[in-house]
Amino acid sequence: MAKARALDKRRKSIKNIRKITRTMELIATARFKQAMDRAGAATAYTERITALVSDLAESGLELSHPLLQGRETTKNATVLVLSANRGLCGGYNGNVLRAGNERFGELQRSGANVRLEVSGKRGISYFKFRSIPMSESYTHFEDKPRFEEVELLANRYLEAYAAGELDRLDVVYTRFLNVSRQIATVETLLPLASLALSTPEGAKSAKKEPDARGKPSNRRSATYEFLPSAQAILEEVVPASFRLKLFKCFLDAAVSEQIARMVAMKSATENADDIIHHLAMSYNRARQSQITGELLEVMGGVEALKN
Amino acid sequence: MATTTATKSNVGRITQVIGSTFDAEFPENHLPNIYNAVKVVSQHKGVDLNLTGEVQQHLGGGKVRCVALGGTDGMIRGQDCVDTGAPVSVPVGEATLGRVFNLLGEPIDDRGPVNAKERWPIHRDAPPVSKLSTTTDLFPTGIKVIDLLTPFVRGGKAGLFGGAGLGKTVILQELIARIASAHGGYSVFAGVGERTREGTDLWLEMQETEIGTTGRYVIEQTCMVFGQMNEPPGARLRVALSALTMAEYFRDTTGKDTLLFVDNIFRFSQAGSEVSALLGRMPSAVGYQPTLATEMGALQERIASTDKGAITSVQAVYVPADDPTDPAPATAFGQLDAFLYLERSITEKGIYPAVDPLASSSRILDPQYVGERHYAIARRVQRTLQRYRELQDIIAILGVDELSESDKLVVHRARRIERFLSQPFMVAEKFTNKKGENTPLADTIRSFEEICDGKWDHLPETAFMYVGAIEQAEEQAKRMQQK
Repeated sequence: MAKARALDKRRKSIKNIRKITRTMELIATARFKQAMDRAGAATAYTERITALVSDLAESGLELSHPLLQGRETTKNATVLVLSANRGLCGGYNGNVLRAGNERFGELQRSGANVRLEVSGKRGISYFKFRSIPMSESYTHFEDKPRFEEVELLANRYLEAYAAGELDRLDVVYTRFLNVSRQIATVETLLPLASLALSTPEGAKSAKKEPDARGKPSNRRSATYEFLPSAQAILEEVVPASFRLKLFKCFLDAAVSEQIARMVAMKSATENADDIIHHLAMSYNRARQSQITGELLEVMGGVEALKN
Repeated sequence: MATTTATKSNVGRITQVIGSTFDAEFPENHLPNIYNAVKVVSQHKGVDLNLTGEVQQHLGGGKVRCVALGGTDGMIRGQDCVDTGAPVSVPVGEATLGRVFNLLGEPIDDRGPVNAKERWPIHRDAPPVSKLSTTTDLFPTGIKVIDLLTPFVRGGKAGLFGGAGLGKTVILQELIARIASAHGGYSVFAGVGERTREGTDLWLEMQETEIGTTGRYVIEQTCMVFGQMNEPPGARLRVALSALTMAEYFRDTTGKDTLLFVDNIFRFSQAGSEVSALLGRMPSAVGYQPTLATEMGALQERIASTDKGAITSVQAVYVPADDPTDPAPATAFGQLDAFLYLERSITEKGIYPAVDPLASSSRILDPQYVGERHYAIARRVQRTLQRYRELQDIIAILGVDELSESDKLVVHRARRIERFLSQPFMVAEKFTNKKGENTPLADTIRSFEEICDGKWDHLPETAFMYVGAIEQAEEQAKRMQQK
């Protein structure tokens, strides 16, 4: 009986796990829709800014802004890693953290003084386990990052950059390409490489979409009048573009997290189903063979007593 | 067998034949003793019958019930049946070396008669408590998993438990090849109810294996007793005793260390259960004989080391339906010093020997006997593997990514340890195309310590498969990279 009971106990515990994963799947699905909507809402604004900035770029003005100029030597660098507060989302955290750890190591090897900033409890415990010291850690970015919160961060980076305390900012996050494809990406936000919303290496499929939509605005090549001056507008637009890019990283990370969780929980539920199926079969077999054994023993005893 | 003249008093008549048991009627005041051998020799309707039986019960009214130690074909009621006046006895001593016997002590290797000075009865008492040896020494085998986790005891008993086709016989033969070839004393092999072919293979192999560099062959120091699965249950029930008796002689008279290999002790219990119902005993749990534990105890207690000499024994135990709670293997289990459980899920991973590192254990895996370091590392290995096993359900459902960082490390090392427990065998060279590895105990301990410490975390898992000491895993990893 011991074996059958153990099997039944295991089956029950896996059924409970399945309940959890199934619920998580449903929640993640709902949250994913919300996060998608938010990202979608931000798209309109980002596209407009992109159009404006690229227009500015094409207007033939000589653009110069401290944020656009790379420093000759990178003395102080910051790596910002965006991970999730919670697990149960498959390889989402692992991929981001691996990429972050790699870039952190590279920068350190290049002799720079690297600060590590981590968002998300998973990331914090990952670096703690490896005893890599973090300068800052955030846990308040959930699945709905707010612009005001991100702006605080962005402003801090801008100030540090302007003051020369920061030469380079790398953001490690999961880039959302489409519903079936998200990639852990390392993106250098400071110095700003170009004014257009950048397309980092390995994300070429994403590039096509803004291009297709951006074409009419490119062709327009409207003549702009700058008031009070082009430089003044640049002063305004470049930091705004940086803030937006940083915000977009947070939004992408949030959407990707929910998708990752949805997919991970779906396959977890399926795996649990498989195991339950196997256990149910072994349990039935164990139970049947036990009954058969007992019957045989009783009948054997009866037969033996007859003689 | 001492020829007994048939006088009127010791001749009985067969009154009943039931399968492999028969009843005989003797004069009321000349009943043969329990365990006496009775012989039936006759020629009837062209069928030659030369059968020895063993008296098991006195039924009353001058009747005795016997177990036939051979086939009962051609037996008829009314045949004469002679009481030999003594139990079955087998030749013992130097003359038995290099020979192959059946349970009656008759040579079956076609090499002429055996000129033994002595014959001993196969039913004997276990050595008394006061004569038992109390020393406890580790008996190194050169097999990593055994030496580390289930160290054998010199003069002790080790069991190989496993279901069908998990490699019990291969491990047993490997141990024979390793131990017997490095061993100065005598070896006795008992083939109980297993394949005759395997027995023949072993016999031929022993003729080719040299003992160290002495230029002599293992077979010259070995005698073999077979009662394989083609034999009737009575033969399988007693063949282990015959072999044991020969081993006991070596222990008691020569004082040398003696090895006793038994393949397979479960067949002994199985044979007992086959005749039990015919003897009129009520079947007990799972249909086994009610005397299961008594029979096993009587056999196992005799396999003991005394102040005169030691018998080190290795026994294979078949586990029916992979269920170790089955009464037959469970009874054998309690008798052993070291205990290897072979696990099907490990053979499915292609890891041989498929010893389950968590279910197997040894009495001397204790700091008192093996030393603090060995003990600590063995426990560390087991803890790692235990944790890995606990995590297996979670991994199966959620995937490795969901584990905490420390658990990931445990899984990482456990998978390497698991593979490192495999080892190429000398007797399996033709299957694996790898030379057998003999790993000294010190290397084994050091290798596992380094794996647990994370020194070899960078090697790929497959580098740990089928190597000896850890340095070989490193070489294998290099070879794999070159490819």
